[in-house]
Amino acid sequence: MRRQVSSKTSWKARDIVVIGVMTATLEAAKTALAVLPNIELVTFLLIIYALAFGKKAYVAAFAFVGVECLVWGMNIWVINYLYVWPLLVFVTLAVNRRGCWSAWAYAVVGGAFGLGFGALCSIPYLFIGGPVMMASWWVAGIPFDLIHGVSNFVLCLVLFKPVLGIVEKCRSAS
Amino acid sequence: MQKSNRKIWIAVAVLAVIAVIFGAVYMFAGPKAEKGSKNCTLEVVDDKGEVTTYEASTDAEYLREFMNELAESEDFSYEGEEGDYGVYITSVNGLVADYETNGAYWSIYVNGEYGQNSAELQPVADGDTYRLAYETSSEQ
Repeated sequence: MRRQVSSKTSWKARDIVVIGVMTATLEAAKTALAVLPNIELVTFLLIIYALAFGKKAYVAAFAFVGVECLVWGMNIWVINYLYVWPLLVFVTLAVNRRGCWSAWAYAVVGGAFGLGFGALCSIPYLFIGGPVMMASWWVAGIPFDLIHGVSNFVLCLVLFKPVLGIVEKCRSAS
Repeated sequence: MQKSNRKIWIAVAVLAVIAVIFGAVYMFAGPKAEKGSKNCTLEVVDDKGEVTTYEASTDAEYLREFMNELAESEDFSYEGEEGDYGVYITSVNGLVADYETNGAYWSIYVNGEYGQNSAELQPVADGDTYRLAYETSSEQ
């Protein structure tokens, strides 16, 4: 029987280190796979971190956006990142609240997130250029979303058990 | 346990159906490429507003292929970074647009209209004029 991710979050000084490590690994994973368009490990890692560290993953998600801003500068994608990554943590915690620890379930979460990434990121264009601009922006990126969804699904399915096991070990040892 | 497995398989099936629907939407409403020979123009507008024009006949289906052809046959060059939705053009003919320094970026226009697609996904059509324009966020 697996532990349930606690709905109550207690904050300790060492969490600064834990969040720092989560943020650093998110950024390292993003950079390492940057040459492969829409194949990324940030989705998978945030799912794992949400399952291992609960709501602390929200802080890592926001810190990751902060680091990305430092690296790439401010642009419209910053607005996207500020809601898409925390949304992923929220959905992961919501699925886990039902007692789910299946790799398949989180592969579906990752796959759905990848498929919906373009649609989520098109929201600001509704306010910039109206529904036509939003729809055309989303449709133009569908091939990338399909790659994103399939790669997220496969990566989550393959890496879920081994990586969650390692992260859980690190968490209980800390 | 059985019930939970069934739910997961239903979720996987729903995800697959959504992916197919997305593919169908793209086939129906996405940018369409034309096969065969086309005569196209690429204009490069630099930071001083000077325009360099390249006219060529091409079999390229997408703008990036056309740009790659021009890079081989003409005095044209570009560099870019692969982004979430295709190449993000960082320099054209050696002129670097650095957003972090002065809010500069390279825009794509298609027949005078602001482009909705990245260079990879912008279909090339006969008679089209594409423009790569150096712009800064303060111009908006």
